[in-house]
Order: sequence, then structure tokens, then C-alpha cells
Amino acid sequence: MILFDELESRLAGLALRHPRPVLSLAAGLGSLRNRLSRRWPDPEQVRLLFPSLTRSEAARAAWRIAALEARNRLLVQCIRRAGAGPARPLVRVSSETFAALRPPLLLGTFHVGAIHALGPALERLPGPVLALRQGRLYPAGPPVEVVTTEGDEQSRAAVFLRALGHLQSGGFVVTALDVAPGPGLAVPCLGHTIELARGPFALARLAGVRIVPLVARWRNGNVEVEVEVETGEALAPAGEMEMAAASARWLESYLLASPAETGLGLLRSLLSRPS
Amino acid sequence: MDEPVEEAVRSLVRSRAPLARSRAELADDLPLGAGGLGMDSIALVEVLLDCEQRFGMRSGSCSGGWKPADLLQGPPLTVGRLVAHVRAALGS
Repeated sequence: MILFDELESRLAGLALRHPRPVLSLAAGLGSLRNRLSRRWPDPEQVRLLFPSLTRSEAARAAWRIAALEARNRLLVQCIRRAGAGPARPLVRVSSETFAALRPPLLLGTFHVGAIHALGPALERLPGPVLALRQGRLYPAGPPVEVVTTEGDEQSRAAVFLRALGHLQSGGFVVTALDVAPGPGLAVPCLGHTIELARGPFALARLAGVRIVPLVARWRNGNVEVEVEVETGEALAPAGEMEMAAASARWLESYLLASPAETGLGLLRSLLSRPS
Repeated sequence: MDEPVEEAVRSLVRSRAPLARSRAELADDLPLGAGGLGMDSIALVEVLLDCEQRFGMRSGSCSGGWKPADLLQGPPLTVGRLVAHVRAALGS
């Protein structure tokens, strides 16, 4: 396994010059590593979350989750070294996808698929974007501004107030729903419990805006950003628990259709919390 | 101090901070967040919004300048700072 770590660390420099083939290579290595080790994740862990999968289907999903993780790790290394530049040409957003989105709107992400590739996609949203994340991955430029949610409660309150103002002035706010810095909202998902961050739901409630799930998935060596727009009743502004439960139902439905999009961290988090 | 404003602000703080309800008094130097009333980020913002609504203030529209974002910068927000800021914004 040390060999795989060594190979992966050597790929970052190469990926900056040839991102498409090298990211695909990383995915291949990640998949191979999983086939040899049956870890990260173990196919049985996948079956615990997706009991309808056969053993062989779960094994294939585990290979693909490991490939996803390896590709994401490499992409993060590239972004840390060179900003969003190397990722930008990989990201495709269909013209209809973002055109249908009208601010003010809160876009909620989950740790699934190619989450780190969403940054360049946000540049194409039709309006100013304030992205909230724990720590800064790279310095973004207009129309995207990234602010960190790290810090004490008062610092986070300042960020929260700023995001509220951004929504009230007609912008997009993008934030992860499944990272809870403090006590979150525990809701059912895939037969387990997921703890969602309370902040985004409080923000939507106070601003009276809808929450639209935003995800990206790797496809054919490229990154194709898919935005799932939920205009139904579930994600409309409502009580925080209602919105959280609706978001978790959306996530469950998305992952049941595509189990291999489950991030390893999310998988572990779900497995650690039975329903 | 303008007693009604001060009392109203303290009452709003009490309504958002469970730890405040058991206290007979809220000292001026009592932080609303860590080390004091333990309000989380959302509660801190909500109490500022409560003040806006209660006193009809909007950011930048008051004589003394209601600037809730400024209150969250720098030193910990205390009961006394919040009261003083509201009073200044109202020009009282």
C-alpha cells in the first residue's frame, strides 16, 4: 500500500500538465488498491449502506468509490498547487443547468462525487456567488468569493450575517449541508442517521429562499457538473428540520441511484450512526 | 442609560440565550458567546435581527449607524456592547 501512496504523491506534478489522463490513472490506481486490499471501503460496508446490492455489485461500487477518492485527492493537490486553473477545462456545465437557477438561492452541496470540482463551476452561475467552506482551498476571483467558516461562534456569526445579507441582496450562497461544525440536525438517510449542518437551513429560513442541491460527478475522465434542481415543496423555505429531512431524502435518492458517488467520509459517517 | 432600550435589549438576549434565563442579572461585561451565555453563531445573528426588528433599525439607516457586522468583529460581543450600540444607533 505504501507503493500506492508513493505513486499517488508523484502524480500531482504530472497532473498539472496532463490532467485528464493522469486523473484517470489515479482513479485506476485507487480502484486497483481497493481490489487488492478490500479496504477504503470494504465492500461489506457498502452493502450495509446499500443492502439491495449483490456482493459483486457492492464490490464494484467499492472499487469505484476508491477510484473517486483517489481522483479527488489528486484534484485537491492540483488545486492547492495551482488554483482552479487546471480543473477549469475539465468542468462541463450544460447551458440549461445553471440557466434555470435564479438568485437569491442557496445551493447545498454534499460530500459526494467530484465535490472539489464545483469551484470552477460556480464561476458560471448567473449572479454573484458567496461560497462558504471550512478553510480556503484556493483564492477564487469574481464573481465567486470564498469565505471560511473556521473560527469561533462569533466569527461564524459574522460569516452567517454576511451570507444572509448576500442572499437578501439577490446573490447565490453555496455551502455544504453535510458538515456540521457544532450540534447539527440529525435526520434519517439510507437506513442510518446523517447529521446535517444547521446553518444552511437557518439561513434559508431567515432569508426565505429555497435550497437547491448541487453535485458534480466524474464522467469519462472529465468532470461533468450536474445540478439537480428541486423546485418541489420539500426544499422550499420551511422549518429547519423539515428542510434538513427533505435534503437527506434527496441525498438518499441520489445515492440509491448512484451508490458509487458516495464519498468515503460520508459513508463512514453514515455507518457510524445507525438509525 | 435609556432604561426602556436597555431593558428591551436584555430581554431579547434572554429570549435567545437559555443560559440567561436562570440569571437574575446580565452584567454589561458578560459575553453573549463563548465564556458567557454560550450563544451559538445562529443565535448571535438572531438576537441582532431581533434588535433590528424591535427598534425598526436597518443597517446604515440610523443616525448613529446600526452596523451589526461591526459588533461581530473584534472583541467578544458583550451585553454592554450590544446595548451601547443599539442606543447609539437610535441616538438615545
